[in-house]
Amino acid sequence: METVFWASSLFVLYVYAGYPLLLGLWSRAAGRPSRRAPHTAQSWPTLSVVIAARNEAHRLPRRINNLLEQSYPHPIEIIVVSDGSTDGTRDAIAPFSERVRFIDLPRGGKPRALNAGVAAAHGDVIVFADARQRFAPGALQALASNFDDPAIGGATGELILDGELHGVSESTVADGVGLYWKYEKWMRRHESRLWSTLGATGAIYAMRRSLWRPLPPETLLDDVLAPMRVVLAGKRVVFEERARAFDRVAANGAAESRRKTRTLAGNYQILALEPRLLIPVVNPVWIQYLSHKLGRLVTPWALLAVLASSAALTPKGWPYALALLVQLCFYSLAIFGGLLESRDRMGGGPAEELQRAASARRQGS
Amino acid sequence: MKILQRLARVAYTFVMMNYAAIAGLIALSRGREVWK
Repeated sequence: METVFWASSLFVLYVYAGYPLLLGLWSRAAGRPSRRAPHTAQSWPTLSVVIAARNEAHRLPRRINNLLEQSYPHPIEIIVVSDGSTDGTRDAIAPFSERVRFIDLPRGGKPRALNAGVAAAHGDVIVFADARQRFAPGALQALASNFDDPAIGGATGELILDGELHGVSESTVADGVGLYWKYEKWMRRHESRLWSTLGATGAIYAMRRSLWRPLPPETLLDDVLAPMRVVLAGKRVVFEERARAFDRVAANGAAESRRKTRTLAGNYQILALEPRLLIPVVNPVWIQYLSHKLGRLVTPWALLAVLASSAALTPKGWPYALALLVQLCFYSLAIFGGLLESRDRMGGGPAEELQRAASARRQGS
Repeated sequence: MKILQRLARVAYTFVMMNYAAIAGLIALSRGREVWK
């Protein structure tokens, strides 16, 4: 039981503190920047932006205008693939018919829509975007600037959540999610510098069309599977901080929990879709993958093991009793946080005040 | 009190995000809809 306690504790400590520390030191010692040669007008790759959308008619005109406002040396091909939309998406796209190619598919899931979009694309580089987010000026050019380096097969932009921009959280989970997201981006930045990120941000990422392989229709995380296939092909996927997209944190804890459950289910699924990721000589980012992605899948089991073993070992000595006490305090705090979240969801909490403050700031900015 | 509330929110998010891995595995094994 003592072995279970110490091994599980050390594992959790490694995933959340040891690995980031190792990564920071490693990337400082052996990190390599991407080679960005100055582009001439002709040397910029041609771009195709693919948006898979289901019932996003209310968002697409704004999204397309945002893309059309992007400055780029070549005309940008924009492809919108409707995945069984029933809300008049075709009509919403109609005013842009000269600039946007529209593919109307029966409902078959996002991977099928992306496959169709990429199959119809002509650009050297495919940029993937969602209907909801918007790009900052210069985002496409910043993403594309990486592809002058032949070692780079993909680039992911930076997703900025509302709270980060305005310094105000809009919901109970926003505090935690914002913090988590900053931590994740720190890891991504260093993994990118070392060799490659372990995935991309679905809202803004790009890859060479030649490296695209059609996604299995059941794929949950296209923005992890596609970039990891680029990495398995021996190319880098870099984190491009100058390419920014903006989004909001999920409205509440339940929505964030569903999103996270889907993400982690997707990470399990990727092991089945790409078992090569587990082979060290095949996966150039094997250590990072095991420590970061696989580590996150195993951590909750390790946390449960720490809790159970410390409870069982409490009669054996004060360190175990102390460990149990710390965990009970932490979980009590989390339950309190959950109650705050429930209160906010019902509209009675300070999150509403924060939301009003954030809205006021947005209007003022 | 504000610091305590903020810590509580962070703790809640940490727990929710970590245990989502278990929820995700259960959802996958039961073939439940986890599509967004």
